[in-house]
Amino acid sequence: MNGIFFALLGASIATALAGFGSAKGVGGAAQAAMGVLSEDSSQFGKMLVLTLLPGTQGLYGFIVGFLILVYGGVLGGDMPTFGQGLAYFAASLAIGIGGMVSGFAQGRAAVSGIALSAKDSSNFSKAMVSITLVEIYALLSFIVSLLVVITVPSLNI
Amino acid sequence: MKSVQIIALRQDRKRLLEHLQDSGLIQIKKTEKCKKGFNKIDMTSQEQVFERNVTLSEQALKILDRLSPEKKSMLSSFCGRREIDPDEIGVIASNAGEVINICNRICELNKICADNAAEQIRIRTSLTQLEPWRSLDIPLNCHDTKTTAVIIGSIQKEYDEISFAQTLAEYSPELEFEFEIQYSSNGLTCLVIFVPFAQKELAENALRDMGFAKPMNPGNLTPLKETERLNLKSRQLIDKTEEAHQEILSYADKRNEIRDTQDYFRIRADKYNVISGLEHSKNVFVITGYVPEEDCTKLEQLCTRVAACCIEFSDADESDAPVKLKNNRFTRPAQGIVSMYSAPSHDDIDPTPLLAFFFYFFFGMMFSDAGYGLLMVIVIGIVLKIFKPDEKMYNNLKLFQYCGVSTFFWGLIFGSIFGDAPAVLYNFFTGSKITMAQMLPWPTLDPQKDALMLMIVSIAFGLVHILVGMGCKFYICWKHKDYAAALFDTGLWMLMLIGFAVLAAGMATTQTVMLIGAGIAIACAIGLILTQGRNKKGFGKIVGGAASLYDITGYISDLLSYSRLLALGLTTGVMAQVFNMLATMFGTSWIGFIFLIIVFLIGHAINIGLNALGSYVHTMRLQYVEMFGKFYEGGGNEFKPFSLNSKYIKIQEEKSK
Repeated sequence: MNGIFFALLGASIATALAGFGSAKGVGGAAQAAMGVLSEDSSQFGKMLVLTLLPGTQGLYGFIVGFLILVYGGVLGGDMPTFGQGLAYFAASLAIGIGGMVSGFAQGRAAVSGIALSAKDSSNFSKAMVSITLVEIYALLSFIVSLLVVITVPSLNI
Repeated sequence: MKSVQIIALRQDRKRLLEHLQDSGLIQIKKTEKCKKGFNKIDMTSQEQVFERNVTLSEQALKILDRLSPEKKSMLSSFCGRREIDPDEIGVIASNAGEVINICNRICELNKICADNAAEQIRIRTSLTQLEPWRSLDIPLNCHDTKTTAVIIGSIQKEYDEISFAQTLAEYSPELEFEFEIQYSSNGLTCLVIFVPFAQKELAENALRDMGFAKPMNPGNLTPLKETERLNLKSRQLIDKTEEAHQEILSYADKRNEIRDTQDYFRIRADKYNVISGLEHSKNVFVITGYVPEEDCTKLEQLCTRVAACCIEFSDADESDAPVKLKNNRFTRPAQGIVSMYSAPSHDDIDPTPLLAFFFYFFFGMMFSDAGYGLLMVIVIGIVLKIFKPDEKMYNNLKLFQYCGVSTFFWGLIFGSIFGDAPAVLYNFFTGSKITMAQMLPWPTLDPQKDALMLMIVSIAFGLVHILVGMGCKFYICWKHKDYAAALFDTGLWMLMLIGFAVLAAGMATTQTVMLIGAGIAIACAIGLILTQGRNKKGFGKIVGGAASLYDITGYISDLLSYSRLLALGLTTGVMAQVFNMLATMFGTSWIGFIFLIIVFLIGHAINIGLNALGSYVHTMRLQYVEMFGKFYEGGGNEFKPFSLNSKYIKIQEEKSK
């Protein structure tokens, strides 16, 4: 029995959960941004930047998912053994869960940042930097997932 | 920064201020209290007039933009202010009255349109109210005759002839009445009732009990005629609105003149604002302000040339004086990033050169694609050439152009040119299986295969970045003769971090190196325990020293933060690969070829947009949080010279001098 099912499950979890977090984060931020834009449409550029900030988690999740597909025998690579399949699945949990939760949190931070920046646009860079503070946790999850995924093909399990 | 005082004759005030404004050399200080013999001139009312004109023309422009939108290309926001001849200002000034009249007229016409629209709604409501009465051939406010009272109105209930007669008879048995139902449907009955004059009150009481109501605003005309009248009025209003629109549109070609005039008034409002802040005596006035040291002679020449004046320079009080950042061509674009954080205070050193270098470097590492980098350099080059943007926009674009250069080189190191496009396209057309690493003649570092290696490299760069930041702190403390802070608070930590780095290097190589590293780190730790509690008393000295070691967690998290260099670099590369793979999925037929082009273009555009934003934001964070956190205080005032603060026009430089 090979581990293709678990590898695919891992790819799905990484992409979907992280994407869920980002979707919720970006969605909330976009709502707040549109409220601001209805008052002053010239702020579009700044609002776009702040809205997109919680969007990276989905990207990281997608990359982990994609790499699992590449290494895990779907888009090339060798068919994973059962153990390797489980390892892919385990790796996907980091970015899946980490990305999802940090996506929620960053979305909330982005909403506040949008309110801050709407009041006084000179606060924009402060808002931006504060929102990115959340992102480090998604990044750490991503790096853990990534390091595991790229070492799995050489694991003898 | 020098403090400057200019004393000149009042008759030269206009000329002198105009020249100062054009040159933008001096920041004028508003005096709060006047010396004896001097007082201030209140120019608020003039200033307000100018400001009102600015607002008026802004409104007029907004109205024009709404009714006849200007055709603008996407890139026109890069466009700089229009350059005009100094003499043209005179022309603008002489036409200003006329242009303001036009603006007034535009706003007036716009108000007419708005009023007409409101009136239209009122007419439409009246028309709907009249609708049920269409067949009535007497006016709604028809008067009673000598013997008969006429009551016209409606009931919110549906009746036919029989049910109404029965109901009314039930309410008032002795009432004699005739009636005519005009309309009865949808829960509404409109009717006319005739009763003997003597019974009018009785009838009205009975009807009121039934929920009868008279029409809201009865007219003197029969409903049919009234409807016609209203329709006619509505048509007239439409015509009038159309006329007003046409008239507004006829002013559309005045747009540029309105803009110029708006700037003219904006400039004058600024000037009068400055005048209100100056000290005047009977014959002379005094300007006090700040001027950058290198501009002193220029200012002196200018002032003596245009007016009889006495000019005096002195050293400015450092704690109040504004700060002007001085940077060369290469580092100036990053000035905007520093100002976005906060201008340096007088205790700080100007961090721009360091920031510029690391900004370009880290941005390149995160965006890391030779194709994208080249694209950035070329596109920005073209935009700069064509649109000649203003200084601020110019610097922003230049920043990204330099980042593009760095992106290009990092792309070459990572072997990424539009992702793996060259290899993918080569394989697509020839059917071979070649990788980027095989294709490129130089050795590359693949972030996907050597992720661990690249992470170590990222953190090593981070270490350098942090050490440079701490080095600045060391330098600042040393300059302020705070040697203890320099050596113990900063120096020991720097050494300790270096010790850890040597230790880590030793783990990978030989044991001796490792021991040396460990030795340095332990020595520094002991040093810190001994020195960090130096401002505390007694037992607190040891506790404070030991507690300071806890700061190590801060440094570790700072260093780990640099792993984003790897993560974002990888993101760009992998996304590009995904799009390349999607692009070549449809095979080598001609349909596949079309798909290839479309997917390739759209995919890479998305990738550039997302990852350029990510790289920009994260580079900025690394500078602000990790590096500035180590040494930079900020909170200074930026040098804001008295200059032409205009939106649309600027005066050609050669001639303004």
